Amino acid sequence: MVVASWICLLAPLAAALAITVLGERISRRGAGYLATASVVGSFAASVVTFALLTGQAREDRVRYSTVWDWLGTGTLHFGLRILVDPLSVMMMLIVTGVGALIVGYSVGYMDGDEEERRYFAYMALFVFSMLLLVQGGNLLILLAGWGLVGLSSYLLIGFWQDRPSAIAAAKKAFVMNAFGDATMALAFFLLIQHTGSLDFERVFASDLSGNHWLVNLVALGLLGGAVAKSAQLPLQTWLPDAMEGPTPVSALIHAATMVTAGVYLIVRTHPLFELAPKVQDLAAGLGAATLVMAGLIALVQTDIKRVIAYSTMSQIGYMFLAAGIGAYGNGMFHLMTHAFFKALLFMAAGIVIHALAGEQDIRRMGGLRRLLPKTYLATLVGALALVGVPPFAGFFSKDSILAAALGRGWYGDILWGLGLLGTFLTGLYTFRLVFLVFEGRPSAFVLEHLTAGSHAGGQEGHRHELAPNEPGDEPASTHAHPAHVHVGEGPFSMTSTVAVLALLSLVGGFLQFAGLWTPVSDWLDPVARPLVDATGWQETASSVLAVAFGLFGVFIAWGIYSRKLMEAPSAPRLRALLENKLYFDRAYDLAFYNPAVALARGWNVLIERPLVAGSITGVAGGSRRLAGRVTAAQTGLVRTYVFALAASLAVLIVVFVSVR
Amino acid sequence: MKGPDVAWYLAVSGFLFGTGTLGVLLRRSPLIILLSLEIMLNAANLALIAVSRHYGHADGQIFALAVMAVAASEVVVGLGLIVAMARRDLVLDVDRLTTLRG
Repeated sequence: MVVASWICLLAPLAAALAITVLGERISRRGAGYLATASVVGSFAASVVTFALLTGQAREDRVRYSTVWDWLGTGTLHFGLRILVDPLSVMMMLIVTGVGALIVGYSVGYMDGDEEERRYFAYMALFVFSMLLLVQGGNLLILLAGWGLVGLSSYLLIGFWQDRPSAIAAAKKAFVMNAFGDATMALAFFLLIQHTGSLDFERVFASDLSGNHWLVNLVALGLLGGAVAKSAQLPLQTWLPDAMEGPTPVSALIHAATMVTAGVYLIVRTHPLFELAPKVQDLAAGLGAATLVMAGLIALVQTDIKRVIAYSTMSQIGYMFLAAGIGAYGNGMFHLMTHAFFKALLFMAAGIVIHALAGEQDIRRMGGLRRLLPKTYLATLVGALALVGVPPFAGFFSKDSILAAALGRGWYGDILWGLGLLGTFLTGLYTFRLVFLVFEGRPSAFVLEHLTAGSHAGGQEGHRHELAPNEPGDEPASTHAHPAHVHVGEGPFSMTSTVAVLALLSLVGGFLQFAGLWTPVSDWLDPVARPLVDATGWQETASSVLAVAFGLFGVFIAWGIYSRKLMEAPSAPRLRALLENKLYFDRAYDLAFYNPAVALARGWNVLIERPLVAGSITGVAGGSRRLAGRVTAAQTGLVRTYVFALAASLAVLIVVFVSVR
Repeated sequence: MKGPDVAWYLAVSGFLFGTGTLGVLLRRSPLIILLSLEIMLNAANLALIAVSRHYGHADGQIFALAVMAVAASEVVVGLGLIVAMARRDLVLDVDRLTTLRG
């Protein structure tokens, strides 16, 4: 069991190293196959681990494995240690399962890119990092994985490094995540100081409850890390920009796995959070606020990937809500179903983007339903699962989160209300996307790309090479990304993986039906026992209301965007507010970026130029002047030199004689 | 074996050295400068041998032999240079050979 989980952890790392070392000796496609094979191997190993773990008694399902002492100072020792327990196995299955599908999809999606090998090496590195995060046997290993996923995310967002916007987005993501890493590290320092260890079992077993300040600070630090990684308020602004990366990256990292790491962290360290109920409430509140805010912003986005990105943010808000109120099983279940349907939506969007030669603006799309029927079907499944329409996956997971919020006093009721508002918004923005992209009559732009077919393919394949160097190109077409254009819905590697995910989004929800059977929550029960248990009527009421609200949103979207029965409300003020993402970016620029730049300018004028640069040029100028003086002594006349010799000799003699 | 006091030898040596020095300083022809250098070297040799004899040690005489060898090599190189300069039609005047001016 432990061996299988080590294989699961190390296979992607081996693939990443192999692709890096082999370089040109492996074909581009070969690199893709190698990465896919390693992640599939990881998935197989996770399944084996899962099977072996189910064979154990319930109390015996937590296994640690330490290979060696990794870091040690004084009495502190951190082993290179992994943990196999129901929670980590569940995450392993999600990461490697969805990961294998997405890496496989990338083989088709990235086909023809100049740097496929680098891409697949990064992807494999990401899967390894994510597995390290979820399998880490102490908080330090978890933090190492946490940092590594941040790094791979940075590398993959900035994968098309000749696009300035991609580089800016990568830096933004990295800086915001580094902030979270820092608060986490501070929390760990406090834990080391007070418990003398970062091993899960020792930290959780030690008695910290008497020290309110300490537990609150630790929980806040952990929450800071979780909020940054999961793009929740107030550190959410990096996620939409992260859509600059290739679409499979958005699907894997910025939808299915990495951004949900915050939820995993809260569930993993729930004993600490339970000591600080106020911080738990804060987490739930942040989740609820984020889910509403992201839903509102998604309403006005025009980039197909950004709409889905805001939707991801919103769905992670639900998971935070669940983790904050202590409905761990429900939160993790939603994490899983969300991984299915959000990856599906992203990958379907990837097919659309591919088919339209890199176009991402939904206003230029339309009428794709007949031209890309299978993609339409896949998107529809994903969208219905996202809205939570039975029997799709989201219905089972989202509604139980809402139900769990009920019956926790007025605060829970507010969260519940916000969650319901969120379902309405979800229905609205999701089907706005679906109707704008797939319904109506094909625009001229779409027809040019999809019906003329073959000739567009060759032409667009060339345009992308020029695009990054042509700033004058209109913004929409600079989105043309460096991949070959496939006519129709893409190669087998893309369509088949999307089909598998569509199937999972369709049936994945039946794993757990709150009130009737709850295998996921039961499976996680030994690790994270839920604090809340919804009653039957709460489940029923929440489900009925959530579905009704969701369908109402869909209906309004249908009215506005499909049938044109009514106008979209213009409300220019509100629209401007939302299109500027509630001015978070601008506020951060004002609060942090501008002062930092001003400070740097000030230092430059006051210190850098006069002192640092001045001292260097001063030394250089001084020696040059001195050298100018000295060169005058070099006359080139032999007799000058001889005279100098003779004169100094005479002086020496005089000195010698007189001193003696 | 009696002879003049060592002071006389040193005086002759000093006179020769002064002559050589003045020659190097005042003359312009590289050839004459070379000759003057030889005179200076030989003045030094004379002083070495005289003092060596005065103290009854052979060290100074051996050193004088070494100086002679150096002088001989120096003349070879120096004369070679002068011949080469003459061949290339350079002016044989050290005051005008100032290419190495800083």
